[in-house]
Amino acid sequence: MKKFLALTLTLVMVLSLAACGGKKEETPAPDDSGNETAAQTEIVWWAFPTFGVDSGYEQELADAFMAANPDVKITVETIDFQSGPDALTSAITAGTAPDILFDAPGRIIEYGNAGNLVALDDMIGELKGDLASESLLDTCVGADGSYYMYPISSSPFYMGLNKEMLEKADALQYVNLEGDRTWTTENFVKMCEALRDAGVCMTPGIVYCGAQGGDQGTRALVNNLYSGTIVGSDGKWNVGENGVKALELLKTMYDNKSMDAGFSMAAADELQQFQQETCAMTFCWGTSNAKSYASEDYTQISVPFPSDDGVPELEYLVNGFCVFDNGDDAKAEASKRFISFICDDAEWGPKSVVQTGAFPVRASFGNLYEGNDEMSLLASWSQYYGPYYNTRAGFAAMRPLWFNMLQQVFNGTPAQEAADAFNSGANG
Amino acid sequence: MATTNAPKRSLVLQRRETIVSYLFLLPALFFFVGFVLTPMAMGVVTSFTDSNFNNVNTGSHFVFLDNYIRLFKDPIFLKSAWNTVVIVVVAVPTVTAFSLWVGSAIYKMHSAARSFFRCVFYLPVVTGSVAVVVVWKWMFDKYNGLFNYVIRTMGGQGLMWTESEKMALWCIILILFTTSIGQPIVLYVSALGNVDHSLVEAAQVDGATDLQVFWKIKWPSIMPTTLYVAVITTINSFQCFALIQLLTSGGPNYSTSTVMYYLYEIAFRTTKDFGYADAMGVVLAIVIALFSALQFKVMNGGTTE
Repeated sequence: MKKFLALTLTLVMVLSLAACGGKKEETPAPDDSGNETAAQTEIVWWAFPTFGVDSGYEQELADAFMAANPDVKITVETIDFQSGPDALTSAITAGTAPDILFDAPGRIIEYGNAGNLVALDDMIGELKGDLASESLLDTCVGADGSYYMYPISSSPFYMGLNKEMLEKADALQYVNLEGDRTWTTENFVKMCEALRDAGVCMTPGIVYCGAQGGDQGTRALVNNLYSGTIVGSDGKWNVGENGVKALELLKTMYDNKSMDAGFSMAAADELQQFQQETCAMTFCWGTSNAKSYASEDYTQISVPFPSDDGVPELEYLVNGFCVFDNGDDAKAEASKRFISFICDDAEWGPKSVVQTGAFPVRASFGNLYEGNDEMSLLASWSQYYGPYYNTRAGFAAMRPLWFNMLQQVFNGTPAQEAADAFNSGANG
Repeated sequence: MATTNAPKRSLVLQRRETIVSYLFLLPALFFFVGFVLTPMAMGVVTSFTDSNFNNVNTGSHFVFLDNYIRLFKDPIFLKSAWNTVVIVVVAVPTVTAFSLWVGSAIYKMHSAARSFFRCVFYLPVVTGSVAVVVVWKWMFDKYNGLFNYVIRTMGGQGLMWTESEKMALWCIILILFTTSIGQPIVLYVSALGNVDHSLVEAAQVDGATDLQVFWKIKWPSIMPTTLYVAVITTINSFQCFALIQLLTSGGPNYSTSTVMYYLYEIAFRTTKDFGYADAMGVVLAIVIALFSALQFKVMNGGTTE
């Protein structure tokens, strides 16, 4: 009995070991006649939830493409913004990267510059003559001049305000709701002070600086208040004189309680506080967040960032695709075909753009939000798009330095000293 | 004949048993070598290179001790190392002492009451760290959090909690404390229940006080458990990561950054310098080994000899 038991256990262990080294399963797909064909190319698509969380739209797209292209099999894997970047880094370094990624230029160009992507120059040629804005392509090009991202849609980042709170505090008078809604730093300060004095919310606004999530919002705020930039004329990361002035203003507002700092908050936390009416404004509003953090309890107003001259420079998001170089030309070719289907197909192209909640990069798609005044207004803000710096070298290393600089300023470090430390660290 | 065959038979049996034993160990050995020893060796080797995300395809170069020298010139690493030491130095004695106190208080109780307390203290251990941190995050929220609500209700002014450089690390230690005491309490309850009762009775008959009984009889008997608790809590405290990532991301101003968190930030979030991050990992492993060895030494390897 003991022998039998020992033998059984040994067999189980040996089998479990054998299972660990299991061979990759090959699944030939049926061709039109129902016979199996070995010529099918299998590609894997990793998608951040830009088409919506659990929307199922990615699979819908894959099914539609596979129906029209039976020689390609697509496996869709959705990843989230929290763990997805780490999973990508691990997969790339381990040589198990997906074939297609749906993301934004920051990461995609980093992967391209590191030699992990297939250049998409052959696809971009046709798109060049049909761009809604010429500058959009600047976001897709790597350090070697090759295009690594195929863009589908873009949208600006801006501020959101709680209309009813502003009305109660008699602060709506400082906000321009006419035309393209541009406004000044002076009125922004007055609005915050009116909100503070009226006590209609726990704090007028929160400059979140606990993590890098959504940090484009706080950068846009600092850059716009006194028309500063984060990249100097020499191409280096630089919080200059105007940036320091903006930091000093925010510190003054923090001290006089017309603004608060969120030392352990990222944009998502601040957006929640905005949704719960703890604060009257958010610095990370956008077409996607307006959906995710919608509230029926109050009216959310979209406004561009305030600036000293009343002319904002907005940060913007570009959604797009890249193809990983997995050493298989057939996979790369199939991936490009699929990307083209998603972005350029007469039926699925416009549908996909609308699914992202943003605006098409293709001029020929026209206005996809006909009759929607809010979306038309937001689309018009593309004229205020500032320089795109997310693809610059050292962007990833700069981000943690940014929110730490804000923390230092709010904690009492002189703005110039904190900015100097940021500049030297980001360029170091 | 019988006398000469017996040792031979015994040797054959012994060999068979040895082979079977090794076969039983084989799967564990396979995983240990594949998923522990090999990555560790790779980590040590990588720590002497300039391996980073950009040279994954082109190959890295040996830089000898450059990464280790860089560590000690990096103020954020030094701050993270200091925070790590504070967490360990505060968390390990408090977790051990509190667990021993709770264990001593509940091990004599009726089994139902004992199970109830064990469940209460063990609950944070079995609850996912994300869920635990989300609840704590809400309680620490400076606007709508439970703690500040209570303080304001009592007429006080809300505190900054995780928003403050001075308080954030203590908030982390508090959460770490609540999630670390479960297992030690269960172990102490079990260890105290197994103390030879005849020794306790004999000491009491000889007129020993409760304190004397504890120090002279119970404490030596549970020394192996104390050593285990101290070593495990030390390792867990050194490797504290998830709750920092979820609660403060190392802030404000790196006041809650630990070596483990900074390692992750370097490897995955910022510069993606794998060689440098591995150097941190190696230093951390050496420090943990030294601390554990010191604990073994101080506690005589868990014996009273």
